[in-house]
Amino acid sequence: MLKVRENRRDLSVRIEVARMAVGAVFALLAFAYWYVQIVRGDYYFELSENNRIRSVKLTAPRGYVLDRNGAVLVENEPAYSLQLYRRESKDVNASVDFAVRLLGLPLDPIRARLERGRRFPEFVPIPIAENLSLEEVAAIEARAPEHPEFAITISQRRLYKRGGSAAHVLGYLAEATPDQIRTSGNVHTLGDWIGQKGIESSYEKLLGGANGERRVIVDSHAREIAEESRTESRPGQSLFLTLDRDLQKLAEELFADKVGSAVALDPRTGEILALVSSPSYDPNWFTRRVTPEEWASLLADPDHPLQNRAIQNTYSPGSVFKIFLAYGALARGWVDPDARVFCPGHATFYGRTFRCHRSGGHGWVNLRNAIKVSCDVYFYNLGRRLGVDRIAEIARAFGFGEPTGLDLAHEKPGLVPSEEWARTKRGARWYPSETISVSIGQGPLLMTPLQVGRAVSALVTGGKLPTPHLFLASQDPKTGVRLRYRGELRQSLAIDAHSLAIVKSGMWAVVNEPGGTAFGSRLPGVDLGGKTGTVQVARRDAVPRPGVDRSRLEDHAWFTAFAPIDDPKIVVVVFVEHGGHGGSAAAPIARRLLAKYFGVDVAPRPGEPGFVRASTKTSSTPSPAAEVPE
Amino acid sequence: MIGRVLPVPRRLDLVILTSALALAVLGILFVSSTTSGGRFDGLATRQAIWVLVGLGGLVAAVLFDYRVLLKFSFVIYCVSLVPLVYLLFFGERIANVKSWIRIGGFQFQPAELAKIATALLLAYLFENEDDGKMKGATFVKVGVIVAVPFLLVFLQPDAGLAATFLPLAAIALFFGGLPGRAWVAIVVAVALLAGIGWFVLADYQKQRIGTFLNPESDVLGSGYQVRQSKIAVGSGGFTGKGFRSGTQSQLRFLPVQHTDFIFAVIAEEWGFLGVCLVLALFAVLLLRALTLARVARDRGGVFLILAIASMLFFSVVVNASMMIGLLPTTGIPLPLISYGGSSVATSFLGIGLILAVECRRFANA
Repeated sequence: MLKVRENRRDLSVRIEVARMAVGAVFALLAFAYWYVQIVRGDYYFELSENNRIRSVKLTAPRGYVLDRNGAVLVENEPAYSLQLYRRESKDVNASVDFAVRLLGLPLDPIRARLERGRRFPEFVPIPIAENLSLEEVAAIEARAPEHPEFAITISQRRLYKRGGSAAHVLGYLAEATPDQIRTSGNVHTLGDWIGQKGIESSYEKLLGGANGERRVIVDSHAREIAEESRTESRPGQSLFLTLDRDLQKLAEELFADKVGSAVALDPRTGEILALVSSPSYDPNWFTRRVTPEEWASLLADPDHPLQNRAIQNTYSPGSVFKIFLAYGALARGWVDPDARVFCPGHATFYGRTFRCHRSGGHGWVNLRNAIKVSCDVYFYNLGRRLGVDRIAEIARAFGFGEPTGLDLAHEKPGLVPSEEWARTKRGARWYPSETISVSIGQGPLLMTPLQVGRAVSALVTGGKLPTPHLFLASQDPKTGVRLRYRGELRQSLAIDAHSLAIVKSGMWAVVNEPGGTAFGSRLPGVDLGGKTGTVQVARRDAVPRPGVDRSRLEDHAWFTAFAPIDDPKIVVVVFVEHGGHGGSAAAPIARRLLAKYFGVDVAPRPGEPGFVRASTKTSSTPSPAAEVPE
Repeated sequence: MIGRVLPVPRRLDLVILTSALALAVLGILFVSSTTSGGRFDGLATRQAIWVLVGLGGLVAAVLFDYRVLLKFSFVIYCVSLVPLVYLLFFGERIANVKSWIRIGGFQFQPAELAKIATALLLAYLFENEDDGKMKGATFVKVGVIVAVPFLLVFLQPDAGLAATFLPLAAIALFFGGLPGRAWVAIVVAVALLAGIGWFVLADYQKQRIGTFLNPESDVLGSGYQVRQSKIAVGSGGFTGKGFRSGTQSQLRFLPVQHTDFIFAVIAEEWGFLGVCLVLALFAVLLLRALTLARVARDRGGVFLILAIASMLFFSVVVNASMMIGLLPTTGIPLPLISYGGSSVATSFLGIGLILAVECRRFANA
């Protein structure tokens, strides 16, 4: 016994070492746990909250869009989509085949979606198809017992009424791109549908409202255990546009077979009553599945249906420009309205002969009559006296060369040439002979139809430039609180009642006096004034390149009108690409729009929508085309 | 033998008994926290029954003279290996491994009992060894005694459970007085074996080790367990989220939370304080066991205590390190606390043997 105890000294030492080792290891463990739980505790607590809480988006119902009288232009309708729950499927490929056969869908895009879905846990459903028809929904529901892996979800889809009337104004929705998500400061998230064009885009914040959020407690299988909190969505505001649905509809019908654009606006406020760009497209294509054929046809169309011609295309104003030149020169005292110019049908400046559109000449014309008959020679002389820089000053005072500030994106500023512009931008000095062209609205001078409408508004109201706008009011669908547009008018030209009266008188004569360039478009009962414009596209003797339609060489037709003369309530601008003469191609459209606006009954003429041959027997109004060539 | 019963209760070491019972009670408590209301409902009751069975084993071990056990330790050792061999050939695969024997509604891991048997045989081996330098023959014997059950379990294949045999060898060699040069040789040999082992390991085992080295690599796969357990532990903070209020455990983000990962549940619900409580109880138990080893009457008793304590220590440290990603997930339960009959019962049996050695300190041979 004793021997055993004595021999145990080494063992005792080792046990002491072991005791210290055990103490040290436990101290280290405690330290490690202290680090994880105390030092990194907040970090892990957040992770555990993320585990536990799942955020479910409550999509805000998007606001309706209505016209100025409350007629619905855009609303929402339920949309059905098909989701695949992989966990419920015995064979995912078989499930996909079933859906493909049932719905007649292409296989490859769905395969791509499945591939993308692999990144997510199995309980996350994969969207297979969107915008199912009610028949398709019924077909799937009928097979639900054999295919529990499929679920139909309902969401809201945008519906543009009447097949996309006013498409260029309304725009359309599409899924937010990664760039848009970034620039929105993550207000939008992946899968959000947001406005891409038109007022859908301009008023995204108002229409979109604010998405809500459900925070739900889930277990490790993503099963919902309870709802932790709920933030209701804030529905989007209803948006009342300045458009008049009926006027808009008529304008679209009148442009059905034409390429061009028309704008009707209230000159006192800048409210847009109608805005047409033709050809157009159906925004509903974008909310449904855009078929490859539809997309290809949109892109391939030489007339670019996606383009808003009223604000994105710039054209030479032609003779329409004469009224601005006339008023600007009058108001500044640069011209004597009574001074007469003799028009022999042509004039020679700087060694070059410039022709008047009437080869026989207009004889002696003063300012008023020069407007009425659109005498080129009169304005050649006026322009030459003013010089290009004074012309530019007048044009800029009417708001040309800058966007009008319409509440749609991508508006073009147009171009107002000047000597400085020629020197710095064009890089070739200004030739005096170009001034002669500019004085009748040709040459480098470019403007959009909307700019013309705004300038005419300023002219007929005595020099106040309105800001054209589509926003009339918005209304909160819950509280009913309304917001109204309050615009400012910019006084850009001196008010000169005398000058104004002269120009208005000339514009009245254009329509209402025999010999006026749009005499055929006078409207009984409506006191309207106007001005035609015809823009030469190609030389008279030009021959089209092979494959180009002869009609592409036709002149562009302009017409602008306002009414009534003494207290203008509406300004109309009509532009028809390759339409021919302004008086024959554009003026009749403006006439119909004004008739509609003032509630005057007019019978449709040959070639116009609604025209019935039998009824023309009583109509003795001749076609204005041959009557007044410009 | 029965005659020796009478003086026993007076000498029972209360420090060890109390801390072991406290740990077992914590175990029942947290098994109930993680399993109530689900498909595991009723496991806490089972665990309580197993604790009682274990206590029975403890009493038996105390009453029985451990010297007799030592004398027959080779037989016991051989008998304990029989079911391991049986499992290799006829075992039923449960969770990828053949390590369970099913008797009625209960499952039992024979490897747990084999650990006690191995501890006994090692203690018997050193009973008659001198303290000085280890003889070459002893070294070989230690190697064989540990290697046989280790390999049998390793082939099940349950590397984690097999690894729990390794501390027995380490402790035997350390306390048996293996010279320094030999330790160096062993380290080199182990490193070589590890290299070879890489080719032998099953894919899921390699994956676990890979995950251990880089837990973020596969969030939804095997790294998931480590990540969720770290989140559970870390989110517990200082005082924890409250009993039965751990979101990680109650919403079942934690894997096998009532068995291998129960310590993470304690850490989440009782926080750093709960962790310290459990670690302190284990530390008290183990330090006390080492003290008792020092004063044990004979070398056999000393080595028996050391062997049992080393296995407990190894399991506690590996399990606690697993929770926070310090070691790979190996499937080693937390002794006395994790749900599992074999583990709980065997732990109590081992503690019974420690108490048995202690209470016979002054008895006559």
